[in-house]
Amino acid sequence: MEHAIEKDGKGRIKISRLNGGQQKFRLLMIGTAIFTVIGFFLLDYSGLQLWPAITGTLGNLKMMFLEPQLNQVGFGSAMYQVLVTLSLAFLSTILGAVISIFLAFGAAVNLSRPWISRSIKGFITVIRAVPTVLWVLIFAIAAGLGAVAAVIGMLFHSVAYLVKAYSEAFEEIDEGKIEALRATGSSYAHILFQVVVPQTKSFLIAWTFLRFEINFGVAVAMGAAAGAGGIGYELFMSSSFYYDMNEVGMITYMILIVAVILELAANKLKNAA
Amino acid sequence: MVLKTKERQQLAGQEKKADDIVFPFDSDEHRPLDTKKDDAPVIMEISNIDKAYSGDKKVLNDIAFDIRQGEVLSIIGPSGAGKSTLLRVINRMIEPSRGSITFQGEDTLSMKGRKLRSMRTDIGMIFQHYNLVDRSSVFENVLHGLLGYKNSLQGIFSLYTEAEKQRAVEIITELGISEQLYKRCDELSGGQKQRVGIARALIQDPKIILCDEPIASLDPNASRTIMEYLRRISRERGITIVVNLHQLDAAKQYSDRIIGLNGGRIVYNGNPDDIDPDTISRIYGSKLDELIVE
Repeated sequence: MEHAIEKDGKGRIKISRLNGGQQKFRLLMIGTAIFTVIGFFLLDYSGLQLWPAITGTLGNLKMMFLEPQLNQVGFGSAMYQVLVTLSLAFLSTILGAVISIFLAFGAAVNLSRPWISRSIKGFITVIRAVPTVLWVLIFAIAAGLGAVAAVIGMLFHSVAYLVKAYSEAFEEIDEGKIEALRATGSSYAHILFQVVVPQTKSFLIAWTFLRFEINFGVAVAMGAAAGAGGIGYELFMSSSFYYDMNEVGMITYMILIVAVILELAANKLKNAA
Repeated sequence: MVLKTKERQQLAGQEKKADDIVFPFDSDEHRPLDTKKDDAPVIMEISNIDKAYSGDKKVLNDIAFDIRQGEVLSIIGPSGAGKSTLLRVINRMIEPSRGSITFQGEDTLSMKGRKLRSMRTDIGMIFQHYNLVDRSSVFENVLHGLLGYKNSLQGIFSLYTEAEKQRAVEIITELGISEQLYKRCDELSGGQKQRVGIARALIQDPKIILCDEPIASLDPNASRTIMEYLRRISRERGITIVVNLHQLDAAKQYSDRIIGLNGGRIVYNGNPDDIDPDTISRIYGSKLDELIVE
């Protein structure tokens, strides 16, 4: 019995033994903690007056969120801009979803050949590694800054995201169900649309809606960064151009309300499916 | 109030009746008189089948037997004997490494694409875990059995003719699950799910139905119902039933012929009545003591 026991430096009996991965992880955590502490000492605080900074920030926040109001844009036009942003998000999501579902059939290892699956997965990993904003700017070279570049860029990233999500849902399908339909003499297309899609429908809807929410957020940012228009552009104008904190607050609330409505709709839809 | 309770009890009784005793059998006549299947025509000849998944370890080793029309053929053997593989070789869900299979006068191992699919429509299959699409209705799942006859567009958009739907309803009614017609399959009990599985196989209008451990996940009552129904299919419709079984007693009770498999080889092929303790130990090896409950 004795020989199986390991003791630590102080002669106490160990109750667990870390494997290689756990040891590396522990080193990583210790390293991160040390660098965080060092980082604080290296920051340059010379120009900072702590108290005015805190009160100033609180004042701005109060102006934004407790006294929201629209000054430069009217309510109707702000609502219209929200709709424009929603449309950008909707367009890139729905196009992305249609493309993704077919690519995901190819990417799921249980529905495809290994080399097809590997090449699609490799391709989308590269696309996903580049941020959406960068894709928008890349497509802006051809399409010019604006809504078209934004939609194509967002579409690109949505496809990369959704193919991964969809194909993972497809890979979860019980192999037996596919086997059962193969045994009836069903063709590949039959299996995809009679087993794979019905069986994963609620996942597909959930992932698509999640991407829609993400795309809405991205579309707001694209309005500011890539001139795609919509509420993001108004937000950019009122914050960086007019320094109108009240309006920034109001627009933020509008975006927030839309996001909450989307979230509620997503839950309803997922339960219904 | 009293009346209502009584009514309800009656109703419940009827429901139970409709649910449980769909197949009115005399449980004593467990083998009908027309059991002589030796002169029935051979519909499938399997010869010299070998199957190795990797390396030289053979899962199936020189398997050869005939399947006759309308018989109930049980394949028994210990876990890992190759029962499931053998069953899937019959409809080519698994490709054998060597050998030949002749089905209705044609060599199945050379079939491809459309031809292979059409061969599979002649062979139904049911499974231990039912393998239904849980999120689709009973009706849809049964109609899946017709997909082998459909082209891609018809299949993708579920375009079935009224006559086909009518036939599906008939089969579903015959199996006693018409109450569940529009229910999603994940709402059903195990026995009901297996009946949907049988209906899906039956609507294919098959010559053979392969059953992979059909009763391994069911309670004794549901098991009896399923086994009796399978035998009835073979008697009334002349469909051959090939069934993998863990339960020796069920195999003895319901089959016309038993094939014993051990280590990928056929060690017994004959009448269920001729199985003696010696044969059992040959099929199951040392597990003899655990097996004999009688």
